Amino acid sequence: MVDRGADPKAGSMTSLYSGLAIGAVYALVAMGYNVVFLASGVFNFAQAQYVTLGGFVGAVAAGAHGAPMWVVVPAGAVLGGLAGALQERLTIRPIRGGDGGGHNELITTIGVAVLIEGLVLVFFGPDPLSVPFPGGAQPITLLGGTVLPVEIALVVVAVLVAAALALFLRRTSWGLAALACAEDRDAARLRGIDVRTVAVGAFALAGALGFAVGPLVASKTLAVFSLGTAVALKSFVALALGGFGSQAGALFGGFAIGLVEAATVRWLGTEFGLLAVFVLLLGVLLVRPNGMFGNAAGRPA
Amino acid sequence: MSALVAGVTRRGYLLAALAAVLLLFAPQLGAGPFLVRQIMVAAVFGLVVIGLNLAWGYAGVLALGHVAVFACAAYATGIGAKAGLDGTVTLLVTLLAGFLIGLATSIPGLRLGGWSLAMVSFFLILLIPDLVRILGDVTGGTAGLSGIPQLTLFGTQVADATLYVVVVLAVVVWVALLRNITTSRHGAALLVLKQSPVLAGSLGMSAFRLKVTAVTVGALPAATAGWLFAYLDGFIAPESFGFGLAVTLLAISIVGGSQSFYGAVVAAFLVQVTMLRSSAFDQFALAVNGLVLVLFGILFADGIAGGVARLTAALLRRLPPAPHTGAAVGEVGEVPELPGLPLTVAGVGKTFGGNIALRGVDVRAEPGRVTALIGANGSGKTTLLNCVSGLYVPEQGRITLGATDLTPLGAARIARAGVARTFQTPSIPRRLTVREVVETARFARPYLPMWAAALRLPALRRRGREDRAEADLWLHHVGLSDVADERAESLPLGRRRLLEVARAAAARPSLLLLDEPASGLHEDEVHDLERVLGLLRAAGTTVVLVEHNFPMVLRVADRIHVLELGGLLASGTPHEVSTSERVAESYLGTSTPILAEDPA
Repeated sequence: MVDRGADPKAGSMTSLYSGLAIGAVYALVAMGYNVVFLASGVFNFAQAQYVTLGGFVGAVAAGAHGAPMWVVVPAGAVLGGLAGALQERLTIRPIRGGDGGGHNELITTIGVAVLIEGLVLVFFGPDPLSVPFPGGAQPITLLGGTVLPVEIALVVVAVLVAAALALFLRRTSWGLAALACAEDRDAARLRGIDVRTVAVGAFALAGALGFAVGPLVASKTLAVFSLGTAVALKSFVALALGGFGSQAGALFGGFAIGLVEAATVRWLGTEFGLLAVFVLLLGVLLVRPNGMFGNAAGRPA
Repeated sequence: MSALVAGVTRRGYLLAALAAVLLLFAPQLGAGPFLVRQIMVAAVFGLVVIGLNLAWGYAGVLALGHVAVFACAAYATGIGAKAGLDGTVTLLVTLLAGFLIGLATSIPGLRLGGWSLAMVSFFLILLIPDLVRILGDVTGGTAGLSGIPQLTLFGTQVADATLYVVVVLAVVVWVALLRNITTSRHGAALLVLKQSPVLAGSLGMSAFRLKVTAVTVGALPAATAGWLFAYLDGFIAPESFGFGLAVTLLAISIVGGSQSFYGAVVAAFLVQVTMLRSSAFDQFALAVNGLVLVLFGILFADGIAGGVARLTAALLRRLPPAPHTGAAVGEVGEVPELPGLPLTVAGVGKTFGGNIALRGVDVRAEPGRVTALIGANGSGKTTLLNCVSGLYVPEQGRITLGATDLTPLGAARIARAGVARTFQTPSIPRRLTVREVVETARFARPYLPMWAAALRLPALRRRGREDRAEADLWLHHVGLSDVADERAESLPLGRRRLLEVARAAAARPSLLLLDEPASGLHEDEVHDLERVLGLLRAAGTTVVLVEHNFPMVLRVADRIHVLELGGLLASGTPHEVSTSERVAESYLGTSTPILAEDPA
């Protein structure tokens, strides 16, 4: 992943800001995982690729054609919603309830992720594209370190999205239906909840979220075909760390990983970043299999 | 001609052997150096995938750690060979390393289970390039490890043509070994485990042990693949082992069918030969791999092997039936002695949330006697059975079998202590014949190591004969001899119940738990069942029977315990219970005793 924050020579506060911003990216992807996972019990590996696609929408529309962000983001969200719904209808629903024990769904979501990555590579090539950030690129000095406006925006957006999703799940009938599905799909069905519609809705919502935050994420990381793979696994770790199904947990896990990674890269070297996150993941899963904010209901059956 | 076709179709391994011979002599048959190299690379990938398939397709554990094993083995071999070690030494070292990595990663990995494990193993693969860089002094870092000398075996340098033979032979040997495992009792056990962990436990199979064994054994062909890979070009680099390789291997597994070893090898050739034909393809490789995963994931979950199996089945239906090889069931022996052990249930209590299912129940069951548990629905009969067989852990009380305290043990340990059971809803695994289903009861009694199955040792054949004789004995007694070779899932409900009884009896239990064995049975079948219960009782085992068929209970039971709302309402002989007013009130809602007169 192209990460301008992973500079070992940067000041420690600057590293910390950059770590928080990258952590916000992980958290945003993890929240997308959460929405789909709660409503349909599927772990959608392709969620991070939706962010990649959103980033390329930003790079083409805003970067190359100068379209304003207030047009690019909603248009991307609509595209993302369609993509998510399409993914559910074509690659998830036909194989639900097979005897693969959920592995078949994992395979097709990995397949969709790889397919998206491959298509992006075919159409845009391996070189990263930049996406302009409307707030400018002038670094701000803060508490002895420098922070980019886009980094502040990422952290703010992650917190806002987490709060909005949590409220949405608790206060709307769709959200409650999704939570009921997370608890027990069969019981939800018996209560008259249309679990299929809930599942399509969840994929659409997650797709829209991924596309919508894509331009912002790519303003920080650049739009590159391999963005998704690098982010996907660390976002999974964020989820495992925070607890499956919890938006606050995703936020916490994302920031924690971003910081651990930034600190490791800053003081040990770039090749230790991923290793540190892996050690963190193993430690948490062995000590607290439900994550810091998780409960048993949010765990896979 | 059609007999020949039928013979070959029925014996898939003949076709595989022919293919192996053709492959072995491919260079002599005109394959050019480019094709020979493609075959070698495909063979190496095929080796990794067959290991993956043992863990995933059979044991249901999607652990991509085999790619990490492959990478480690390649580096260990490369470093060892550069230090002047012989090929035999590096092979032993890599196999040992593969074994240890498999063991070390599967034990914590299986605690996670499901797709958490898949993600963690995916993560492990992404770490490989970083680890290679961190250990740059010995691994050559990002630049790769070059100058690996040619393979030497026992001090003699192996020419390129011989290396080709070694590669093909490695594939043949590993496919044969793994196929031996999956066609043996272990294959049946893995099939049971994948479909019903509860059933596997009640048959004494330890899910954990089976899965760890499958993952660890699966790591060995992956280690062999790494060993070969290092000698292939004399050069290895971290980018050979990244995410792209993991996705390619997953695609090979899906295309070939994750439950087939032949399929893995065939798919490896297809993927290698078609995808890497031109360098222009590299740009599309990711997209194509993704498309393959999606399409095969949706349309052909069982891959090429599944398609071939369906074709073969269709072909066999058109061909003349196989010549009858003797009677379906061989000589039926005597019913063996089944020394029973007394079961003591003392003060056992169990709640579900706020719901009290059992409140301090005391029950005793003697060897050579049939002890019946009756009571209305929800009175706690099955809960008690589940506590005894280890599916539930009671909150209070003690359950002992002879001198063994069963209370703290898990289902598999309890089964191995001599407890066999049937289920209210018969649990019959798919894709096994009726006889094979009965034979699964003998998997853990005693356990035969997997390597004995892989090598087809005489012990395996002897156990096979014993298992078959025992299965045929009980199939005869429950009246299922006629369908011994048919698929078990095709049986109607009544016969499934009898099959479960035969399976439980074939375990030679000291304590037999039967959960409503007579419900859904025809009159004739009930008589068969009663006769079998009589045989088991006479053989000396302890029988606990949960049953609603009251007349049958009166005929077969020596002692009856009546449960009501989780407590013991009455105990006594059939006569005492059938004439008790309290029992009648609980059971029928009237105060008229169930039988006014002595049933005898």
